[in-house]
Amino acid sequence: MPDVFVADKNEAEQQTENKTSDAPYIAKSDTNIKPVTIESSPIPPANRVHLFTSLCKNPDDISFQNQDEGEKPLLFIRKDFVTNTGWILTGIFLIFLPVLFSVTQYSLHISFNLLPERFGLIFLFFYYLLTISYWYINFITWYFNISLITDRRIIDIDFSGLVYKNVSATKLDLVQDVSYTQIGVIRNFFDYGDVLIQTAGTLDNFVFDAAPRPEDIVHVVEGLIGKSHE
Amino acid sequence: MNNLNNIYSLLKADYLLKIGFLFGDFVFILFLIVLIKQVFSMNQIINDTNDSAFIKSGAIFLLIIAVSLFLVALVIL
Repeated sequence: MPDVFVADKNEAEQQTENKTSDAPYIAKSDTNIKPVTIESSPIPPANRVHLFTSLCKNPDDISFQNQDEGEKPLLFIRKDFVTNTGWILTGIFLIFLPVLFSVTQYSLHISFNLLPERFGLIFLFFYYLLTISYWYINFITWYFNISLITDRRIIDIDFSGLVYKNVSATKLDLVQDVSYTQIGVIRNFFDYGDVLIQTAGTLDNFVFDAAPRPEDIVHVVEGLIGKSHE
Repeated sequence: MNNLNNIYSLLKADYLLKIGFLFGDFVFILFLIVLIKQVFSMNQIINDTNDSAFIKSGAIFLLIIAVSLFLVALVIL
């Protein structure tokens, strides 16, 4: 007597196999989440990294020092652009400060001409040069604070104050856990938070400060960890 | 004599102001050179092929302005 239900049985077995092998990320609270691969991650496909990009999947125009042959960046992360609001507003205030100063002098009929006239213009130019430099330095501090997730490792580049530079990397095999915290109204409203990547043993942990859409990043990293541990 | 003293003190103040400004601008130029060095070094560590030229030229632009200002101050102040 031939087996009539063989096909169904295999299908069921295949389904259970898929669940165990291709489902590296299953949230405890929600078991209906699809198995995670970088292709099925919710981050939109945007391959080009531009000047103000804070999150990019599969960037094809990024290369880094000591990049292995065939190593491909999968995620490119900077701090969320909202975190720059403070220095942008300060810069705008600094630009209008001499104007405010002049208006105040004019309206109060007082004069603070401490400098000779010929110095005034040069000093004003210098002041604006300092203001533009302030903007530029803050921008490059944000611009070069990058975290990269490649198909082999996680790289974190910290750059601040022009004199501090720290590049750390770890292999995906050594990553043990990944989590994120999103505290505060602004962080929840603009959807950014800190992603913590814990590594094995005494190795340093990685923190991606103010990363945009941290849930998606955690989702992707957990998918990659699952793949690397298989 | 009193007038001469006043003129002398004004000239001295001008001179000190000029020296002070030139020194400040010179220090700022040195700072910008360090900045350019850091920008180029960071571009070697991580290279974004689209925007690296823009970032580098921004730093060079600031340096050119600072040097121009230094030279102008040297001549006209």
